Amino acid sequence: MTSTQFKSRLLCDKTPLEKETESIDSIKRALKNPLSQYIIFGIILIALQALSSLGDELRITIIKVSFMSALGSTLIYSMVSIGFCLLLGYSGLASLGTAGFIGIGAYCAFFCLQEWNVPYIVAILFALAVSIVIGVLVGFISLRIEGIYLAIITLGLAEILRYALQAIRATININLKNIVLFGTKIDKTTVYYLIVIVLLILMWITSNMINSPTGRAMLAMKNSTSAAQAYGISLMKYRLLAFVLSTCYAALAGVMYMMYLRSVSTSMSTLFKLATSLNILGAVIIGGAKSIWGVLAGTFIMYGLSPMFLSDVKFLTENPTFITLFTGFLIILVVMFYPGGLAQLVQLGKIKISAFIKKAKEKKYGKSI
Amino acid sequence: MAKVFKSLLLGICDKTIMRLKNSSRKYEILQNHRVESSLSRQVKKNNAQLYKLLVATNTAEQIFDIKMYKAIKQYDLSAHWTQRAVNTKYANVCFSSSDNIDVLNTAKRLHAEQINEIAKKRAIYVEKWNQRKQAYLATHIDNQTVIDKSKQDFEQLLQNACGEIDAQFETKYAVAQDKIKVHQSITDRKLASALERKNKLLRNEFQPLSEDTVLSVKDLCMYFGGLHAVEKLSFDVKKGEIFGLIGPNGAGKTTVFNCITQFYKPTSGQLLFNDKQNQTIKLTDYAVHDIVLQGISRTFQNVEVIKEISVLENLLIAATRFYTSSILEHALHLPILRIEEKLIKDRALNLLELMGLSTYKDWYAYGLPYGILKKIEIARALMVQPKLIILDEPAAGLNDTETAELAKLIKRIRDEFNCTILLVEHDMSLVMSVCDRICAISFGKELATGTPKQIQADKSVQEAYLGVVEE
Repeated sequence: MTSTQFKSRLLCDKTPLEKETESIDSIKRALKNPLSQYIIFGIILIALQALSSLGDELRITIIKVSFMSALGSTLIYSMVSIGFCLLLGYSGLASLGTAGFIGIGAYCAFFCLQEWNVPYIVAILFALAVSIVIGVLVGFISLRIEGIYLAIITLGLAEILRYALQAIRATININLKNIVLFGTKIDKTTVYYLIVIVLLILMWITSNMINSPTGRAMLAMKNSTSAAQAYGISLMKYRLLAFVLSTCYAALAGVMYMMYLRSVSTSMSTLFKLATSLNILGAVIIGGAKSIWGVLAGTFIMYGLSPMFLSDVKFLTENPTFITLFTGFLIILVVMFYPGGLAQLVQLGKIKISAFIKKAKEKKYGKSI
Repeated sequence: MAKVFKSLLLGICDKTIMRLKNSSRKYEILQNHRVESSLSRQVKKNNAQLYKLLVATNTAEQIFDIKMYKAIKQYDLSAHWTQRAVNTKYANVCFSSSDNIDVLNTAKRLHAEQINEIAKKRAIYVEKWNQRKQAYLATHIDNQTVIDKSKQDFEQLLQNACGEIDAQFETKYAVAQDKIKVHQSITDRKLASALERKNKLLRNEFQPLSEDTVLSVKDLCMYFGGLHAVEKLSFDVKKGEIFGLIGPNGAGKTTVFNCITQFYKPTSGQLLFNDKQNQTIKLTDYAVHDIVLQGISRTFQNVEVIKEISVLENLLIAATRFYTSSILEHALHLPILRIEEKLIKDRALNLLELMGLSTYKDWYAYGLPYGILKKIEIARALMVQPKLIILDEPAAGLNDTETAELAKLIKRIRDEFNCTILLVEHDMSLVMSVCDRICAISFGKELATGTPKQIQADKSVQEAYLGVVEE
């Protein structure tokens, strides 16, 4: 460092006159910042709920209640998918134990509340701690291997957890009236707000991770284990990190799910079954395993599309398997033609549109003949 | 049991050493950043005042001219586009055939008309602006004394700002350096004790290497089941030399490299290395991902460039262990990460410049030509400020000119980065022109070690490459 370095910066900025025209650019740049995008997304989600409650008070249906509850559960599944995106898209590991970890989160928090009668925030932290411990234990055992074997081990774990929960015959049935969080009593609307906030925080943390040396190290590990090791990236450390993060996200989603639905029975619910893990995997693949927005879109297609928009279509309500058929075909198409998922499709679209605009400009300024 | 205990203790020692180093580096970065940011704030404040005065020195006419220039610019732009369209059309016609000359002429005529039209419109516009200018000037009368005064003020402010920056820099920088020194002296003491502990642990195990030796391989054996890939191989690599390892296909050259970088744990034998602190260490004590911290970096036979990310990010990956910020700081994007990222990015950009790859920095590595991927790998190896670079067949897949370029590059790296190079190569012209010493092996056994001339004259090497002449 020298002082001339700073002196050269004097009068090096843009002039005020130039700055005036740059105000639009600065807005554009701010919109490109992920954090502001997430905040806008959150504001939209919260506005939807606010509109719905406004309708309730005025006794008109602006937004249907079923729409809102479907949106809420889609957002909960999105949390799981984002964790899974970190695992599959960045670390190249496929786990089928997601459902088990959702179950752990839900049941631990419930147990904590029911048996020990602790504050809610403690219950959430307890569920997180348990999921971290189990994640680290399972990770140490199973992350020495890759690919299909890891999937099988995690699948086995999830089934063990499910049967364990069934053996306990745990039926989660909580009374929301007793729950006090940050000094306020919460009802279904406040739980929805909480879900949105938690989802936004998770999205922000994930995008930070992805754009930091940690995310790059994970990508390096996914692409070439030998190059990663040669440059000081410990496979075990980063695999464990991704795995534990994804279990944490799943456990948080489990806690939120329990709060949102209020009653879950381990023996009856499909939540803890293999189908959930597979659906999450499908959602991540449809959306594009490397893009947060893509993953959200994939989860929406998997969980939100039919209950939110197609509930009025008679044909679909009579044949609910049709929507599963549709998503199945979608997965096949995506894997065949766009391995990067919907995110890749959007990116290709963007490139094409910009090329089209360029062409149109050329045409406009030289259109004769 | 004692051995396991010892390696555990060694690991703890290394962790403490690394933590101490990281903390002192982090402190330095933060202190320097504090000085820089406070001075930058000063510069920004001064800049605002300076620009205010600069605008005041402009006459009303000048200010209006800037506005007018902006308004008229779009007409120039559209004329430019039209001209460009004519040019492309002209090129197209020239390429296709001469029959279309009529078409071309009409096109040219039409375009000329269009440009004329634009020019006419522009002239009208300019006239309008001129009228406005007159009106503007009539209301805004320049006060020459005010302008002169603001010019004087401007000059004085500039001088003052420079002086202030100088003074502030001196005091603040000195304070920061003092703080860093104090912090470093504390960590240095701890570091010295940690190093001493490590020394104690390592003592009696082996004879420390002499100063001018970097790497010593002694009686290295690597067996894969019944296959003896490397058997009793010994060689020393001196400081600052380019050492070549040659041999026919399947001689076990890459296996030797993998043993040095701990991808394979050798069956037996000793691998000693003089690390960055000039302390002799046993490489087999370290895990594969810790080797890079000791100062060894390598390239791969079939390039292992990460294809999903850009070239620049490929270089940043090599520096993963050189970030002092923790994962939590990454997750929350704290300022320390941004500062460090900037420092490391600068280094990566410098390296890309040196390799002549600046144009590719934002390209995805996917689909780049092989020669460039090889260069990226070498640049990545240099990112970690290594003491020893291991090049695994750097010339494989390159043509003759590229190979000649590579030979120059290898020598340059040795001289500029002050490191030792160990390379495996099949291309004999490269090996003979670049290497200072060569070790020839065949079926995992050493045939001969010496200068290129000695190796060329050696009978056993000739036999290994060309076969035994039976008479």
